[in-house]
Amino acid sequence: MKITVDRDKCTGHARCQATAPDVYQLDDLGYCAITELTVPTGLEQQAQAGAGACPERAITVEL
Amino acid sequence: VTSTAQSTGSGAAPEALRYEDINIPVSGPGEHFAIYDALRAQGSAHRATVHDRDTLVVVSGIDGIRSCMQDPATFSNRAVAVDEPNPSYKWIPEMIDPPLHTKWRHLLGPFFSPGAVQRLTPRVHEVINEIIDDVIGRGQCDYVADVALRFPNTVFMEMFGLPVSDAAQFQDWETAILHSPPTAGDDLSPLRRAAAMREVMDYFSDLVAQRRAHPREDILSTALGFSIDGERVSDADLLGFCLLMFMAGLDTVAAQLSYSTYHLALHPGDRRRLAAEPALWPSAIEEFLRYYAFVSPGRKATRDTEVAGCPVEAGQMVFLPLASANRDEAEFPEPDQVKIDRENNRHLAFGAGPHRCLGSHLARRELMIGLTAWHQRIPDYQIDPAVAITEHGRQVGLNNLPLTWDARS
Repeated sequence: MKITVDRDKCTGHARCQATAPDVYQLDDLGYCAITELTVPTGLEQQAQAGAGACPERAITVEL
Repeated sequence: VTSTAQSTGSGAAPEALRYEDINIPVSGPGEHFAIYDALRAQGSAHRATVHDRDTLVVVSGIDGIRSCMQDPATFSNRAVAVDEPNPSYKWIPEMIDPPLHTKWRHLLGPFFSPGAVQRLTPRVHEVINEIIDDVIGRGQCDYVADVALRFPNTVFMEMFGLPVSDAAQFQDWETAILHSPPTAGDDLSPLRRAAAMREVMDYFSDLVAQRRAHPREDILSTALGFSIDGERVSDADLLGFCLLMFMAGLDTVAAQLSYSTYHLALHPGDRRRLAAEPALWPSAIEEFLRYYAFVSPGRKATRDTEVAGCPVEAGQMVFLPLASANRDEAEFPEPDQVKIDRENNRHLAFGAGPHRCLGSHLARRELMIGLTAWHQRIPDYQIDPAVAITEHGRQVGLNNLPLTWDARS
């Protein structure tokens, strides 16, 4: 599974990290620090939930 | 998707929707949200009037509301109240657009980042416990005045290095400015609103001058040193920043605490479940944010465009009630139900796009600490049935929340 974060759309809600702290890291101001990530095995469900928490719909999940 | 006009009950020709009928000065709790629900059932965007002359577009669906907020080039923040399309004031950073807005947000971000909020957390715990110490022995309180308003006000005053003794005055100003009915009314509220705004501006102008002369270790003193594009930020802009902090930082958390506690007072089953499963508090708080979203921003179109199929002309205001986005059945299954374990709750209570609430991390922390501390110490309480609860318009919120509990336990 791969996640892609549209950094132009991210406005720092930080909900991805609140929902899936093992997948999403934030920068110092609370914006998503990830652009692309291959999700480690076992964290797929978290990654998906974190994407589903983004109010901007900035995160895409590819299976 | 269509634009709609509301018809009158008399069977006469349909009459245009009026902003004054959406933003009512005094109502029962939740009535504003029900108005949005009824509008959304008719369509995703609606033409309306304000002051019986200016036209605006009310957007009801989450897609339309989100896309307006994500497109600041088309929907400017230079006016944010739909009944004031040409404001004489400029709250910073709310009422400025990118690219200048982006520079301000960069300067302010460190004060409101998750890390900064973490550093404030011990003091936030102390503040709420001091407030609960004051009321717990009484067995009753008006939760709005005695707890919900005092708590974020105290945190704010300390961040700004202001004497907490000024908090009551702040509260009077907030009520006059943020809770007044639409300015077309023939009562005294527009005058009170203007007078309160002048007093707030005087207060913060004095504060800017004081901190300029004697800087301290607070947020405003740091802001005095801000530079944008090589130019020192002006005192006028610093005043605009103080005004926004005042408008956005105090009343909002109070309103959210009050609606959350109102819900929990009426739903002891949810209260019992949270006591048994405290890990549900974060999702419960998100659900209260979704269901009781009280901020209704406006934006000003910079060009002719359309929203949800409804034409918008350059210079026209669009009204974006976040509560309506958050109750859109296209996004949220059973949106009229409060589900404290709701999943995939990507509500817009803190807005969307570059103006996403700067204080959202602090607000969430205050909600978490404020609600859990109260429920640990006063787990059982009721609404006093002898007192009517009312809701105000503009920035919607409860005027009062009379609670009673057994003070001997």
